[in-house]
Amino acid sequence: MKMICINCPKGCEMDVTVDGDNVAVVGNSCPKGEAYAKAEVTNPTRMVTGLVRVAGMRKPLPVKTKNPVPKSKISDVLFVMHQATVQLPIKIGDVIVPDAAGTGIDLVATANM
Amino acid sequence: MKTDVIIIGAGVVGCSVARSLSRYNLNVAVLEAGSDVAEGASKANSAIVHAGFDAKPGTNKAKFNVLGNRMFEDVCRELKVPFRRNGSLVLAFGQEEEKALQDLVAKAAANGVPVEIISQDELRKREPNVSPEATAALWAPTGGICCPYELTFRSAENAAANGVEFFFDAKVEKIERAEGGCAWNVGCADGREFEAKAVVNCAGIHSDELNNIVSATKYAIEARRGEYLMLDRDEDGTFAATMFQVPSKMGKGILVSPTVDGTVIVGPTAEDIPDKEDKATTYAGLEKVKAGARRTYPNLPLGKVITEFSGLRAHETTVGDFILGEAPDAPFFFNAVGVESPGLTSAPAIGEWMAEKVAERLDASKKNPALISKDVSWWPKTREMKPEDLAELVERDPSFGRVICRCEEVTEGEIRAAIRARVGARTLDGIKRRTRSGMGRCQGGFCTPRLIEILGAELGLPPEAFLKSRKTAPRELVNAAAHGTHGGSSSEIDVVVIGAGPAGLAAACAAKDAGAGDVLVLERDDAPGGILQQCIHNGFGLHRFSEELTGPEYAQRYVDMANERGVRTVCGTMVLDISPAKDGGRGASVTAMSPRGGLKVYHAKAVVLAMGCRERPRGALMTPGTRPAGVYTAGTVQRLVNMDGIMPGKRVVILGSGDIGLIMARRLTFSGAKILACIEIMKKSSGLMRNVVQCLNDYDIPLLLSHTVTDVEGREHVTGVKVSKVDENLKPIPGTEMHFDCDTLVLSCGLIPENELTKKAGIEMDPKTRGPKVDPKTMATSVPGIFAGGNVVRVYDLVDWVSRDSEIAGRNAAEYAKGVAI
Repeated sequence: MKMICINCPKGCEMDVTVDGDNVAVVGNSCPKGEAYAKAEVTNPTRMVTGLVRVAGMRKPLPVKTKNPVPKSKISDVLFVMHQATVQLPIKIGDVIVPDAAGTGIDLVATANM
Repeated sequence: MKTDVIIIGAGVVGCSVARSLSRYNLNVAVLEAGSDVAEGASKANSAIVHAGFDAKPGTNKAKFNVLGNRMFEDVCRELKVPFRRNGSLVLAFGQEEEKALQDLVAKAAANGVPVEIISQDELRKREPNVSPEATAALWAPTGGICCPYELTFRSAENAAANGVEFFFDAKVEKIERAEGGCAWNVGCADGREFEAKAVVNCAGIHSDELNNIVSATKYAIEARRGEYLMLDRDEDGTFAATMFQVPSKMGKGILVSPTVDGTVIVGPTAEDIPDKEDKATTYAGLEKVKAGARRTYPNLPLGKVITEFSGLRAHETTVGDFILGEAPDAPFFFNAVGVESPGLTSAPAIGEWMAEKVAERLDASKKNPALISKDVSWWPKTREMKPEDLAELVERDPSFGRVICRCEEVTEGEIRAAIRARVGARTLDGIKRRTRSGMGRCQGGFCTPRLIEILGAELGLPPEAFLKSRKTAPRELVNAAAHGTHGGSSSEIDVVVIGAGPAGLAAACAAKDAGAGDVLVLERDDAPGGILQQCIHNGFGLHRFSEELTGPEYAQRYVDMANERGVRTVCGTMVLDISPAKDGGRGASVTAMSPRGGLKVYHAKAVVLAMGCRERPRGALMTPGTRPAGVYTAGTVQRLVNMDGIMPGKRVVILGSGDIGLIMARRLTFSGAKILACIEIMKKSSGLMRNVVQCLNDYDIPLLLSHTVTDVEGREHVTGVKVSKVDENLKPIPGTEMHFDCDTLVLSCGLIPENELTKKAGIEMDPKTRGPKVDPKTMATSVPGIFAGGNVVRVYDLVDWVSRDSEIAGRNAAEYAKGVAI
């Protein structure tokens, strides 16, 4: 199967062959590509970035998942993100929602406000 | 409401009549169907003050053209409206057309207009950019150029100061004789009722309908649509005179003319259309404009197009002339029907003439000998002010030091004044026409979020109200308090960096590291970080910091690094000018303006340019269709959603597959919008493949390659777009149209380095990158002591490389400041 790596702007085009538990990757230019391809066929993950309401302000707070979350969980993560409201002040890295949607991964602030 | 005179229509004719009538002892009200003055033909025309050589002798058109033309110096001086008598040339291509010039000479003589025929040699000498195919020309020195909507709203402002009342959203539907008398009852669609002794019908393309209500002499107006292109101010000076071609039955043909704003106007087409509201531009129309203009100007630079628009002329078909005066069978009902070109030129003369007729009929005497009212609240144009006057103004009111529209250098003070005027702006368009904010090369890409904030604060409404439609918002003034200020003086600095984005901050840090003493960063936004502040997605810093960061995180790293190094960053400061030292001196002086510091000149030993880039607006893409609310560039949407918490729409089509567009497809999906499609004219995405995968494919958003938007629909707000497949030459293929019902069109069609300051400093440009030419080893520009880094040089894919190259610029600027030759 053809796949484009999303790790960096290079966007390596890879050929991925799945044979039982064996995943063969051709076309990647670094180990990240291979890891990405393997994850894509077993448990694809994505970083999720978005916005959280700030109490008393129109301007929202930008946040991200501290690590990639399973692709299938993106909408659940967005749901808890949109439910949250934070009080200022906030610093980069502050945990906004711990263990977002049961992924085991925290939502953290990405700006000082 | 009872009054003496009702004027229907607040175009240039209605407002001129109102202004002239305001000197009489009469109560006057103006009823306007639109939400502002100059909403019809007065806002979209050629902006020409015609000399009067081509109107048929003996007609009203000829008479008022010539009379009006003579009044322009005085009227424009009184109203402080820009006007220039630049002269007009009518080009003849070959012998046949040269004969037609002779006909014009005869008409000109009959109309009393001075003209002369000039030879090809003389023509080429005066206008070096004119086509060599033009064999002779008619020269009319009394032709001029003016700003039509400025004339309209300044006339209205003057009339209002003299006591005339204005009513907007007042669409007149009923005109009846009042019971037992000769007064008129005038009723509006929303139920408002007025009674007046006299009615003056200045309703433009609808003036026939109003006349036909009260008079048995029926008129018929056809909407004659004209499409135009506008070229960037870079093109100022291309032609000195207004360049006409030999006229035809449909009008004066395609002209190419300078404007008083320094842009170049090209057009119009002339097409009779059935729908009196259809102001859409069309693919075919714009092609005609291009072809027609190339006859005059073979090198017409399409890359310099900043916008296109169309206007509707009120062409009367039964008489074919201006119909002016009291209707024969409807006493006290006065007509200004069929005022098409030369209507702008004639307007001041029609105003005077009409006012006299009405006053005479009502037996009214003059109360004001002059038309100028002392308390007219003129708002200043900071762009045109002398530095010392500007400094004083900013001292008094700091909001005149905060630049909102960077392309046209319009300040917050001007915008607030335009809203607070008697006949003040209540819409984005109203601000645009009164102040030029949003009218420049980025077409509101940067200033729209700020403008809706100011409008909201002034009018007491949520900012997003102004994105819903081009129509009005109720007027309810809220005065914003002025705040304190301190004056400005000059000081000397080692390295001045312009822009506190990733490029500027990296350059400033590198300059400090290389031993520069005082490093000052000037930033026009309210916070450092540049565009990264709104790029809340991840994917930054893999090279620079060996980890994946979001935009705000990456920006914060550089803000912290700059602070640690003692870099001074001053926000809310717009640099207006950079002048390199003269006579072999080193460095440059940098003129900047801010609300708190006023106008200030910094003497820099070295300068780093880091102003970044801007997006290509709709105008530059020449996408045909209407011009409703709901069309934004991707970066504007990014700012609205990520910084201001405003969602612009629910059903979105994205034109162009630039990275910001792709990122916004995902962002808007996350925020609950449906992205119907991403349309790309080229065969492959212009954005990175990783973004196609993780922003479109992940969410099943179709990417239509080799397609483009061929029509934008909707009057007030976008209601849909038409999309067509394109051929090898990127031309739309007929029969391939598909339709999307959407409320938002997002444009992601490329970025352009922002180099207005660079050009002002006289730095040599690279036509390929559209940035300054630089030596890649030092990032030095052609002017000694001025360096450049980041997207101002060329548009980068990756911020990491922006920082890297800007560090080179910063380092070398520091060395130069120490006296090292670079």
